Amino acid sequence: MKPLQRILHVEDDLSIQEVARVALEIVGGFEVESCEDGLTALPRAEAWQPDLILLDVMMPGIDGPTTLVRLREQETTRDIPVVFMTAKVQPNEIEHYRAIGALDVVIKPFDPMALAQQLRDIWERSHVG
Amino acid sequence: MSASDIETRLAELKQQYVLRLRNDLQTLIAQTRVMSTREGVIEVGALESVRQGLHRIAGSAGSFGYPEVGRDAREMEVWLQTLIEARGVPAPSMLGALHERLRDVHRLLDASPATVVREPESGYRAESGDRAVRVGLLVDAERESLTQALAGFGYECRALPQDATSTWQPDVIIVDTAGQYATSWQPIAEQSRHAVRVLLSDSGDFAARLQAVRDGAQGFFTHPLDIPALERRLRHLVSLPQQDPYRVLLIDDDEALAEHYRLTLKRAGIESRVVIEPADVLTGMRDFVPDLVLIDINMPDCSGPELARVIRLDDDWLRVPLIYLSAEHDANRQAQALAQAGDDFLVKPISDVSLVAAVTARAQRSRQLSLALARDGLTGLIKHPAIKDLIEIEQSRSQRTGASACVVMIDIDRFKSVNDTYGHGTGDYVIRLLANLLRQRLRRVDHVGRYGGEEFVAVLPSCSLADAHEAIERIRVSFSQLECIAGDQIFQATFSAGIASTLDWTDAEALLEAADKAMYEAKQGGRNQVCLARPEA
Repeated sequence: MKPLQRILHVEDDLSIQEVARVALEIVGGFEVESCEDGLTALPRAEAWQPDLILLDVMMPGIDGPTTLVRLREQETTRDIPVVFMTAKVQPNEIEHYRAIGALDVVIKPFDPMALAQQLRDIWERSHVG
Repeated sequence: MSASDIETRLAELKQQYVLRLRNDLQTLIAQTRVMSTREGVIEVGALESVRQGLHRIAGSAGSFGYPEVGRDAREMEVWLQTLIEARGVPAPSMLGALHERLRDVHRLLDASPATVVREPESGYRAESGDRAVRVGLLVDAERESLTQALAGFGYECRALPQDATSTWQPDVIIVDTAGQYATSWQPIAEQSRHAVRVLLSDSGDFAARLQAVRDGAQGFFTHPLDIPALERRLRHLVSLPQQDPYRVLLIDDDEALAEHYRLTLKRAGIESRVVIEPADVLTGMRDFVPDLVLIDINMPDCSGPELARVIRLDDDWLRVPLIYLSAEHDANRQAQALAQAGDDFLVKPISDVSLVAAVTARAQRSRQLSLALARDGLTGLIKHPAIKDLIEIEQSRSQRTGASACVVMIDIDRFKSVNDTYGHGTGDYVIRLLANLLRQRLRRVDHVGRYGGEEFVAVLPSCSLADAHEAIERIRVSFSQLECIAGDQIFQATFSAGIASTLDWTDAEALLEAADKAMYEAKQGGRNQVCLARPEA
C-alpha cells in the first residue's frame, strides 16, 4: 500500500485552512497545499498530483460536489481520491457524498490533533482488500 | 516540532480565530437586529446570509476550542434553515429571539478565557452537580403526574422548548409518540439534539421497539407508565458519562508494540498497563483491576488461550472480557482459541482508531455489567462491598500522592419513625430522595454507596477535610429543606454525617470506623449536623 503523503486541501475559510495545515503538516507530517476554491483546485490538482484531496462541501463559486465532478472529468485527476469535509451531519448526506464518489466524509468541526489520524484511517480502510 | 510547540501554534491560531469570531458574531447581531425591528418583508437573501454566517461558525469554532459556541451556532443554523426551506417569512419577534441568543453567545465568548486549560482535579469544585438534571417533556396524557413524580426525585421538568432559541436546554427528553404529538414530535425533538431521548408508546411489541431505536431512543416505555422503572432508566442514562477512564490490561511479549498500544489508548483517555511476562498476569489483574484484557496469542512460554484459562480460573474475573489481539487470520484457529476461553478476536495489524473503538465498546459493556452487579437496586448507588473496595483504592492513592481524600458516613435521622408513621413505601422514597440529592450534588469523581438500610457512604477523592465539610454541610441544609410527600401529608427528613480524611487514618478499616464514630457524635449532638473525625493528639 502506498503511504499517504501529499494532501491538497480546498477550503474557502482561511482560519480553517491554517488550522488544518498545522493538523496535517505538523501533527500528521504530510505535505500540504491549500486552495481557496474549486476553480483554483482543478489546475493545482493536475499539476501537483496529490495522493488525496480534502474538499470542503460548501464553497463560493463551485461547491465541493461540483468540484469532484470536474476532477473526475479531467484525465489526470480522475483517480485522485477525494474526502469531503462538511459541517452538515445528516446521515443521508454522507451516504450521498459517498454515492457520488467521495472516499469518505470528515465532519466539521474537526479536532486538529486527530485530523491526520482520521485521514490515515480512511486511507488504510479504502486500500485494504 | 514537539507537542508543546504544536500546542503553542494552535493557541496562536486560536487567538487570531477568536478575533474573527467576535467580528462575525457582531455582524450577525447587527443583521438580526435590523431584521427584528423591520416592519416590512424580510428578504430571503438576508436570511441566507445570516445562515451562512452561522454555518461558518458551526463548522469552525469547535476546531479552535469553542465547541459550545459551535453547537449553539449549529442549532441556530438548523432552525433558520428549516425556516428558509419552508419559504416561511419569520415574524420579527422570532428574529428578535435569534438576535438575543446571538448576543448570549457573544457574551459567553467574552466570559471564556483566551486559552481553555483543563482545571486540575484538586480542591472541591462543583461540576454539573449544582444543577438538577433537566428533563424536557413532550407528553400530553400523563404530563402532570410525570412532572410531579420526577420533580419528587429531584429532576427539573419542563415542557420541551419548541424553538431552537430557547436557552433552557434539556439533558433528557421524554416524548410520547402515541398522543397528540404522534406525527409532529420529530422536528421538535430535533431542536434538542444533544439530549438523550426516551420514547413512550402504546405498543411494546418488537416493531415498536425497533422503530424507537431507529428514532434514536435510548429508553422506551409503554403506557401506563411504570414511573419507578422510568426514573431508574433516566438515572442510568444521565450517569453514563460520569466514569473513570476505562482500564485495559495489555498482555504482549513485544514490548515496543505493547507500548504503542498503550500510548494509543492513552490518547483516547483509556488507561492501560502492560504485562510482558505471562507469570505477572495475576498480579497485574489484582493491582490494576482492568475492565478488559487484551492478549497477544502467540507468546513463546504460554499460549494466549492457556493464559485466558488461567485468568478464568478465578471467579473474580468472570465479568472481564478477554480479547485476543493477534495476527491470526485463520478462522478455524480463531474458533479453536475462542472455544478454550476468551471472548473475541482483534486481528493485527489494527489501526489506532479501530483499536480504540473496539476497546471502548467492549470496556463499556464490561463496565455496565459490573455496575449492574455492584449497584443497589433501590437507589442505583454502589453496594456495600464495592464501596469498601473504593475506599481502599482511594486510601492507597492518597498514600502515593499525599493528597487528602475523605470518607463520609451519612445516616437518615429517626428513619424508623418515618417508616412507622408513613409506611415502608415512604421510607424507600426518602432513601431515594437522599440518594438522588447526593448524586447530583457531589462531583463526578466522587463515589456514593448505600451502606445499609438508611446509611450511605461517600468517598471524595482529592478533597480536604474542610472542603468535604463545606460540601456535605450544603447538602445537609438542602435535604432538610426538601418536602417529603406521603399521601396528603408533607414532612421533612434530616441526616447526620461524619467525615474522616485519609491523611489522618492510614488504614481503610480505621478510616471508615472514624467516619462512623464522627457520625454518631453528630447523632448525639442533636442530629441534623455534620461532625469531623479528628485524630487523638
